[in-house]
Amino acid sequence: MNPAKSREVVLAMHDVSKNFSTGGQSTFAVRNVSLEAKRGELVMLLGPSGSGKTTILTLMAGFLRPTSGEVRLLGNDVGTCRPDDLQRFRARSMGFVFQNFLLIDALTVTENVMIVQEFCGTARKAARGKAGLLLQQLDISHLGSRFPPTLSQGEKQRVAIARALANNPEVILADEPTASLESSQAVEIIGILRRLAAEENRCVVAASHDGRLRDQADTIVSLRDGKIGNISPKA
Amino acid sequence: MTLYSLRTLRGQPFRLMFTIGGIALCILLMLFLASIYHGVREGSIEYIRANATDLWVLQGSQTNILRGSSILLTAHGQVLNQVEGVSAATPVVFLLSTIKKSGRTSTVYLTGYDILAGTGGPPVISEGRSVLMEGEIVLDRSFAAKFGINIGDSVMIRDCDLLVTGLSEGTNMFVIQYAFVTLSQAQALIGYPGLVSCYLVKVSRGFGVEKVSMEIKSELPGVEVYQHEEFVGNNVREMESGFLPLLYAIAVIGAIVLTSILSLILSMNVLERRKDFAVLKALGSPQRILRRIIFTQSLTLGWSGCLAAFALAGPLMGVVEFLAPEVSTRIGIGTLAAAFAAAGAMSFLSSCIAVRRLRSVYPLEVFQ
Repeated sequence: MNPAKSREVVLAMHDVSKNFSTGGQSTFAVRNVSLEAKRGELVMLLGPSGSGKTTILTLMAGFLRPTSGEVRLLGNDVGTCRPDDLQRFRARSMGFVFQNFLLIDALTVTENVMIVQEFCGTARKAARGKAGLLLQQLDISHLGSRFPPTLSQGEKQRVAIARALANNPEVILADEPTASLESSQAVEIIGILRRLAAEENRCVVAASHDGRLRDQADTIVSLRDGKIGNISPKA
Repeated sequence: MTLYSLRTLRGQPFRLMFTIGGIALCILLMLFLASIYHGVREGSIEYIRANATDLWVLQGSQTNILRGSSILLTAHGQVLNQVEGVSAATPVVFLLSTIKKSGRTSTVYLTGYDILAGTGGPPVISEGRSVLMEGEIVLDRSFAAKFGINIGDSVMIRDCDLLVTGLSEGTNMFVIQYAFVTLSQAQALIGYPGLVSCYLVKVSRGFGVEKVSMEIKSELPGVEVYQHEEFVGNNVREMESGFLPLLYAIAVIGAIVLTSILSLILSMNVLERRKDFAVLKALGSPQRILRRIIFTQSLTLGWSGCLAAFALAGPLMGVVEFLAPEVSTRIGIGTLAAAFAAAGAMSFLSSCIAVRRLRSVYPLEVFQ
């Protein structure tokens, strides 16, 4: 692998602020945030509830547009992308892992992993094959025909990760991926995310308030009241 | 996404059943109206079509026999028979008459025809025989069934007792039915033996129908002459002008109800599955895939309702015809195909309305 490419910055925020106006009052959710995330890196956004972790993730994904500043993902200015381009970009280049898993209950595990491939026009047979492979990698291939409501929390999150990987995205954004899990499951899930960054050279950004996970991260961004308190890259 | 569309519908079995039932009833209503229309259309023109004469001669300004009062004289017939190229001119009398039977009265479209010429009589005798002499009458089958009249019974028109000798088909115009007597009987009932309503003219071989028509107009300036197909068209238009607007109005109301039911159900589905749609949007689903989910659900509901309506239509028409024999219903493949296409169109329209709900679903909702 090209070493230069392997540590390339894929996600960068430059002096990003986001404020919300309600009832004539303006409230800053994020203020003057600047950070970078590289390929092969697990960046952990740590902070208490209301510190702006999720807002930063939604800015990175283009769900929110910054009030000021610039968000660049794989060289594209996310804040100025057209909605259709953003949608394609999310489908092809981003994978999402949510706190509550957000699997589609009406679809089986395999179908949940296949569905995002349909967004990119992958043929059904190929999508099924890829889903099977991912479920195997995450040790849940035996769950392929089950429906989400019958799974444990840990199993659901593994399925969600498989779904996030289905289109082979370069960036994975995880919002509180361990918040709904028991301690042992949380360690397993964060270990998987760690592996995705280190072994598959993806850029993983995870927002969490769980300080126990800081050991797994390459870079820890501490947030408080919408501002970065500290960025501490591990050696 | 087809699986998703179908499974989410199946997830609410009672709602699914009621929705399909509601749609089926709307389509059944439309099928029923269409079948009545076709029944009336056929019943109204079957008599005219069956008497495949070359020319119809009526009083001036008259265009049809369904809602017109053509009055001609037997003297017209004598002139017609003198026109070069006329093989035969057969008189027919039409008059609205009240039939009495066992204290009940009803109106028929009494038709007097020349039994020797054999033209102008009932298109089909389904039971019994045609009239052979004065004092006999052939009734429409549905009319007879409605009033419990059988062959061999007597009915009264004015003060004249008439023996029912046969039952005819293709003579039910829904609001009124044909009845047949001899020409002289009908003229006697009018009270003016020299009156007829129209003449059915056969053109001799070797003569052009158009030319003979012109010749008749020249000889008899006060009459209207129609070629057969033109006359059939006149009567169809006359029937439709009085009947179709009502059917259209009811059919449109049915279509609006169906579209409303379907769009409401689909919109409710979107709102209930709001989380799923938000997730799909967040994961990068193109709009067309989300629209396809709703469209698939809409078509599934619409066409399931349509098939249910097809299954119920036969028995329902049977019950209607049993309870109201004068209601003639006919459903052909064309009507079924049109209903299927209409259900598809209404489903598409409903899904377009429901798709608008997707606009209010934001991918950001998944982070709440």
